[in-house]
Amino acid sequence: MTIAVARTPAVERSPVLMQVGALTKRYCDQAALAGVSFEVRAGEVLGLIGPNGSGKTTLLETVAGVLPADTGDILWRGAPLPVGRRRDVIFYLPDGLRPWDDQFVSHVLAFFAAVYERSEEELADTVRAVGLSPVLGKRVLALSKGYGRRLMLALALLTPHPLLLLDEPFDGFDLRQTREVMTLLRQVAANGRTLVLAIHQLADAERVCDRFILLAGGAVRGIGTLAELRAAAKLGTAGLEEVFLALT
Amino acid sequence: MVTGRALWTMLLILCPIIGYSFAQAVSLYAEASAAAKDAPVLASGLSPLDGVLVPSFGAFYVTVTLLFPFVAIRALGREKETGTLRLLVQLRYRVPTLIAAKLAAVAGAWLIVIVPALSALALWAAFGGHLHAAETLNLLLGHLLYGLLIAAIALFAAAIAESAATAAIITLAFTIGSWVLDFALTGQPGLFEWIARLSLTQALRPFEQGLFSVGVLVGTLAAIAGFAALAAVWLHPGVPLRDKLVRSLLIAIAAAGVALAATQVRTAVDVAEDRRNSFPPADERALKALREPLVITVHLAPEDPRYADLRRNILGKLERAMAHVTIRLASSGQSMVASTNDPSYGEVEYVYGGRSDRSRSTSHREILPLLYGLAGIAPPAPDPGGDYPGYPLIAKAQAALPWFLGALPILIVLAWWWSCRPPRIPMRLVEEGGKA
Repeated sequence: MTIAVARTPAVERSPVLMQVGALTKRYCDQAALAGVSFEVRAGEVLGLIGPNGSGKTTLLETVAGVLPADTGDILWRGAPLPVGRRRDVIFYLPDGLRPWDDQFVSHVLAFFAAVYERSEEELADTVRAVGLSPVLGKRVLALSKGYGRRLMLALALLTPHPLLLLDEPFDGFDLRQTREVMTLLRQVAANGRTLVLAIHQLADAERVCDRFILLAGGAVRGIGTLAELRAAAKLGTAGLEEVFLALT
Repeated sequence: MVTGRALWTMLLILCPIIGYSFAQAVSLYAEASAAAKDAPVLASGLSPLDGVLVPSFGAFYVTVTLLFPFVAIRALGREKETGTLRLLVQLRYRVPTLIAAKLAAVAGAWLIVIVPALSALALWAAFGGHLHAAETLNLLLGHLLYGLLIAAIALFAAAIAESAATAAIITLAFTIGSWVLDFALTGQPGLFEWIARLSLTQALRPFEQGLFSVGVLVGTLAAIAGFAALAAVWLHPGVPLRDKLVRSLLIAIAAAGVALAATQVRTAVDVAEDRRNSFPPADERALKALREPLVITVHLAPEDPRYADLRRNILGKLERAMAHVTIRLASSGQSMVASTNDPSYGEVEYVYGGRSDRSRSTSHREILPLLYGLAGIAPPAPDPGGDYPGYPLIAKAQAALPWFLGALPILIVLAWWWSCRPPRIPMRLVEEGGKA
């Protein structure tokens, strides 16, 4: 049985925020992305699902503009979004990163808050939301894996971008922490921001996402809500795991 | 940058190096001063710029060349190595702004690492030594430009390399390679002489000689801006390689063009108190009034020491004093050994206003009357007074060592410790910031 976190209603009726068209990326002879196309709707939590090596991180990085794509277009509210302008609307949070690891946590947070002109109240709210208070006086490199992830999440929440791309946001959290973070992310989406989450744990994805993109071998194998994917896989009441295995 | 070890380690290494150089320089200066105590002619040859400042800052120059790249690379290399760069390039600032901020931060680090050298100046003044403001500030400006040039190269290396270690190797290849150019090729004829001019050390040399050269300033700033621009081009991981190569080529062409144009700028100000880079003021005024082109043909090989003397004592000063001076090397590309059979070897021909004369002298006392003769004017009467008096000082150099080997390192360690202390967390964050 899966426990779903409360989802944003009527995501299907939300306007399209971003369209990704025929995105390709090759590393030497290997195709990391093979003509990936999808759209992101405003206010939704979109899950990018796939095993390790399926191209999730490459896709997020090319969309964010921190990795050059070979071909492909990205439209933002119907208009082309060049690489140089993506940092205005998209913020990408990489996986496994310890940013400015020789700095104190409070300094890193204060830096981000200053860059994005966040007030002290907003900073305090973010610290409270992710539970970072006990480690504010520690250096980033001294943080446990879980607190490292909380710090990264806090940085993403301090940004004002309407679209957040989060790579493996639950990695490093235990079950209780994962549920707390899921609730937090649903609140973020409910407040109007759009989330694209790259997740390899299908059970986590099923709990938190409104829609899913199934990615395997750098290609899209299915897009839609769980119900739509079940219908495509002709699996009546199956969970996301069975659907994923059937479609990929 | 102050949280890293590189900056503080460099400061601690600088203390004994600058301390030893300063003590040696003061000691030698005191010996020379003792000999000049009762001889004003000898005393006039004692310049603190040559005797104390340049040797003390020479130690700083060596340390900056070898160690400052590690400090500068840290400004960018660590972020690249840990992947933090992917966050950095997403911030609301454009990449050139980021690079400018990094360069400013490295300049700030340079202001910290120069503290031991500045303390040597303060000690010299405390010993009763003379400091001429203009030549001292000019020397500091030269070192600042050199430090920024090293920093810009380090940032470029950090932008193109995947690791800080590789960036350090690239930067040291520039700096130490520049030394090789300087030592191996200076004084060599033809193309080698031109290549030797690319040495980074050449950017510092005029400032050490008390010359504020606009051409060197513009050329060095062009090189700094060029490397910083290249760093900006190569920093962003989201730009395709082809675009980076095209932009780099355009930047290299632009920077080389400005640097080339800068070599044609002859405007320079002699800020040395002893006016070593100029003729006497009366002669400068007389030469400035000569409006026709002066063509000088030198029958000397570039590696001949007489050519270096001629360049320093006559040619350089004439280029700065007169509007139209053309200098030709008759034996360009030919070695000194091969030229010695030429009977005219060693002669310098001066052509002015359709008249010419030859001389083998490298002294202005002989050449200036020759030029006045060609121009048909009488030599000007020298201005009364104004001779450089020299500043002999007999000081005990050992008195500086407790500062450089004891007090200053202790202060640096204390500052290091202070920079590492945990921050004071605002109560608002502790009280409201969750599950403390």
